[in-house]
Amino acid sequence: MAQHKVNYTQDGGLPVALTSIDKIVNWGRSNSIWALTYGLACCGIEMMASGASRYDFDRFGTIFRASPRQADVMIVAGTLTKKHAEFIKRLYDQMTEPRWVISMGSCANTGGMFNTYATVQGVDRIIPVDLYLPGCAPRPETLQYGVMLLQKKIRANHASRAQKAKRLM
Amino acid sequence: MAQVKNRLNPFFENITFDREDNEMILNFGPQHPSAHGQLRLMLHLQQEMIVKAHPDVGYLHRGMEKMAENMIYNEFMPTTDRMDYIASSSNNYGFALAVEKLVGLEVPRRAQVIRMMLLEINRLMSHLFWLATTALDIGAMTVFLFAFREREYLMDIIEGYCGARLTHSAIRIGGVPLDIQDSFIAQLKDFLDKLPQNIKDYEDLLDTNRIWLMRMEEVGTISKEMALSWGCTGPMLRASGVAWDIRKEEPYELYDEVEFNVPWSDKGDNFARYRVYMEEMRESAKILYQTITMYQKCVKDGQTELMAHAPKYVSAPKLDIMTQNYSLMQHFVLVTQGMRPPVGEVYVATESPKGELGFFINSQGGPYPYRLKLRAPSFWHTGILTDLLPGHYIPDVVSIIGTTNIVFGEVDR
Amino acid sequence: MRAYTPKDDVQKRAYYTDRYYVSPQVPKSPVESDEVFNADLEAIKAKFEVLDAYIQVEQMVVFIKPEDNYKVLELMRDELEYTQLSELSAIDFLAQRGGFEIFYQMLSMNKRKRIRVKMFIENGASVNSVEKLFRSADWSEREMFDMFGIEANGHPFMKRILMPYDWQGFPLLKTYPLQGDEFAAWYEVDKIFGKEARDVIGPELRDTAKVDRYDSERFARLGHEVPKGTKITGNEPKNEQNYQEDGGVFLIKKFDKKDSVVIDDPQR
Repeated sequence: MAQHKVNYTQDGGLPVALTSIDKIVNWGRSNSIWALTYGLACCGIEMMASGASRYDFDRFGTIFRASPRQADVMIVAGTLTKKHAEFIKRLYDQMTEPRWVISMGSCANTGGMFNTYATVQGVDRIIPVDLYLPGCAPRPETLQYGVMLLQKKIRANHASRAQKAKRLM
Repeated sequence: MAQVKNRLNPFFENITFDREDNEMILNFGPQHPSAHGQLRLMLHLQQEMIVKAHPDVGYLHRGMEKMAENMIYNEFMPTTDRMDYIASSSNNYGFALAVEKLVGLEVPRRAQVIRMMLLEINRLMSHLFWLATTALDIGAMTVFLFAFREREYLMDIIEGYCGARLTHSAIRIGGVPLDIQDSFIAQLKDFLDKLPQNIKDYEDLLDTNRIWLMRMEEVGTISKEMALSWGCTGPMLRASGVAWDIRKEEPYELYDEVEFNVPWSDKGDNFARYRVYMEEMRESAKILYQTITMYQKCVKDGQTELMAHAPKYVSAPKLDIMTQNYSLMQHFVLVTQGMRPPVGEVYVATESPKGELGFFINSQGGPYPYRLKLRAPSFWHTGILTDLLPGHYIPDVVSIIGTTNIVFGEVDR
Repeated sequence: MRAYTPKDDVQKRAYYTDRYYVSPQVPKSPVESDEVFNADLEAIKAKFEVLDAYIQVEQMVVFIKPEDNYKVLELMRDELEYTQLSELSAIDFLAQRGGFEIFYQMLSMNKRKRIRVKMFIENGASVNSVEKLFRSADWSEREMFDMFGIEANGHPFMKRILMPYDWQGFPLLKTYPLQGDEFAAWYEVDKIFGKEARDVIGPELRDTAKVDRYDSERFARLGHEVPKGTKITGNEPKNEQNYQEDGGVFLIKKFDKKDSVVIDDPQR
C-alpha cells in the first residue's frame, strides 16, 4: 500500500486522513470496546469501580452494555461456578464476531483459591480467552491496562482478512 | 481442530406463553445487570402483575463451608473475605470473633478499637455501595458516581491499612495484625468532616425526586411478622418496625461504650429501607468519631498490644518470633498444623452491614473445623422475594432487589 | 505399605497428632445458672422429653427427640417468645454415630437470648418440616437437603437450591471429597460439549502445588518483558511500559511521556 508522507490533519488543517481499511476499522474497533456487564463476584465490584467516577472507563471508549448482542468484549469478572457454566457459553455464543474475552481475576483464570467441587477451574475450559488479568481482585488499574493491551491486540489484526476462528483449547 | 460445538439446546425458557389463563413465565437472570449478581428469578405474570415468584440461587456457590472443613482456622480467613465482598472486614471479624469465643481469647483494647474502626468503615463502604447501585438501577446515575467517589476515599484509607482495596483480610484471630498507619486518622477525619454534606447531597438528589419516590414509596412493603418469620435482620428488619441491632442488644467489642442510635421505621417499604440506610451512615460516622478519641486515649495510655497473648492459639509478635526460639517453634506449629481449639460448638452473631452474620463452628478438637455454617443475612433476604414479589409489577422487581441489598457471595457462599 | 485412608471421611486430616493429646472442652455450665434459660427449659420439659441441656458460650443447647421438633419450635415461638429461626442445618456424624445432628438456632428479641435446639436423626431418616412455623426454614431445609440429602416432610418444594437440579451427590457429607467426584469434575464439559469432548478439553488442573517449569519463561514481570522462549534470568533491563505501538496509532494522539504528569500522591 502506498505510503503518504503528508499528514493532512496536522499540516493542512484539512479534515482528511489517508489510511488503509485495516487501520480505520481497527481504529474503530479498538476505541469502542463495549463490554458485557458480566460481574460474577468480587471482581465485578472492581469492574464497576473502574466504570465509576474515579477510574472513568468511558474515556477508553469502553461502555458497559447489558446485552451480549451489543457487546464486543466479555469481561468475565469473578468465579464461574459449574451451575453457571452453561450460561457463559450461551452468552458468548450470542455475542457477534469479532469478540474478545478478558478473564479477570484468579477465579476466572484458574479457579483461584476456590479449588472445590463447585467451581470451574478456569473459564478457558468453556470459552476461548484473549487476556488473563492476575489478582484477587485485580485493581481497576489492572483492568485498564488489560483493556489497553486488548486495544493493541485488536490493532495488530488484519481486519480486512477473514478472521481465524478462535480455538477453545 | 476448530472450536468444539456445544450441546446446549436452544433456550426458550425465557418466555413461555402457552399456559392457561393468560399466565406468562418470565426468566430474569442469572446474568442480569440489575440483579446485583447472579440471581435468577422465575416470574409468573398476569399481564404486568407478578403472581408467583421463584428465586433461584446457587450460581455463585463456591463451597466455602466445605473448604472450611479442609482448612486450618487461620487459613480460612481470606475465604471469608469473598463472602460479602462489599464489606470484607465484617466477615473477617465475624469469623475471628467466633473462633475467639470458642477458644476464649481476650483481645487487647487497642486492637478492639482498630477493629471497630475497620468495621464501621466497612459499613460505610457497604452502604455507599448499596446507595450507588440501587440508585443506578432506578436510573439515578449521578448518585452512583457521587457515592462511588466517596467510597474510593474509604478504600484508600483501608488500602493504606491492609494493602487491599476489596478483600482486606484485615483482622486476625486474636486481634489485628498491624497498627493503623500514621495518616489513617487524619484521612478518616477529613472524610468524616465531608460526609454529612455528601449524605445531604444524595438526599437532595433523591428525597424529593418524584421518580425515586414513586418507585420507592409503598413498594415492597414487608410487614413485621413477615420479616421475623423470614429471618430478616439488619436494615431489612429495622425498616419493618423492629429496632433490633446486635451492636446495641448483644454488644460485642466496645460497642457498649460508644453512643449511637438505632434508626428504624415502621413503614417497611423500599423508602423506609432507604431512609434507614442513610441514617445508619450518619450513625456510623458518629461511632467513628468516638473510636478516634478512644484510639488516641489508647495511644496516650501506652497500650501497644495488638494481638491476644495465648501461645496455644496465637503466634507471638514478630519481634519475639525473630529473636526467641520458643516463639519461633510455636509459630511454626501454628502455621503448619494450625491451632487446635477445644471440643465444643459456638454460634456467634455479629451485625454486618447487611444484617446478622453468624458463624456456627463445631470443633472436634482437630485443627480443622468439623462443621462450619455460615449464616449469611442475604440468603434470607433473597428468600423473602418469594413472598414479597407477588402483587408487584415488573419494574418494582428491580427496586425491591435493590433495597434488599443482597450480595451473592454471601447468599450462595 | 500404602497409607490407610478411611473411606467414611475423606476430608483433610492433620498429618500429625500427638498420641497423648487430650482435647480440652469448651466449658459447659448447668442451665440452672441462668434464670431465663431455666424457665424456658422448664416450659419445654413440661411437655416434651429433653435428652440433654446445658449452656455453652452464653447460649442454651437443648437436645430433643427428632419427632418433637415441630411442636417444640411451635411452643418456643408462641409461648417463649423465640420469634426468629436464625439458622438451621445439619452436622454429619455418619462415621461416628451413623446419623446427623440437626440444629435450630433460635433467637428471642424480647429476652435477648439465643437457644440452639438440637436433635439426632439416623441416616436415611427425614425430619418434620418447620416451614409452616418459620418461612425462613423454607430455604434452609432446601439447603440442608442439597448439602446432606436430609429430606423434610411436608416441605412444599423439596428440591436442590444451591447446586444444579441435575447434580449428583451431597457435597457436605464427609464422604464427599472437597474437589468433587468424577461427576463433578466433568459436569460442565459433559453438559455443554458432551462426553466425547472430554479428551479435547482435558482434565481439570487441581494441584495447587504444581510448578510448571515453563511458567518462568512464559510470564515476565511487568516492564521486564522479554521475547517468548527467552530464558528469564531475573536481571532483565527495565523497559518503558508501552501502551501504544512505536509507529503511533491512527487518529490517536501519540502518547508522550514527557508531556504527561505522573501523580505521586494518590491522595491528591
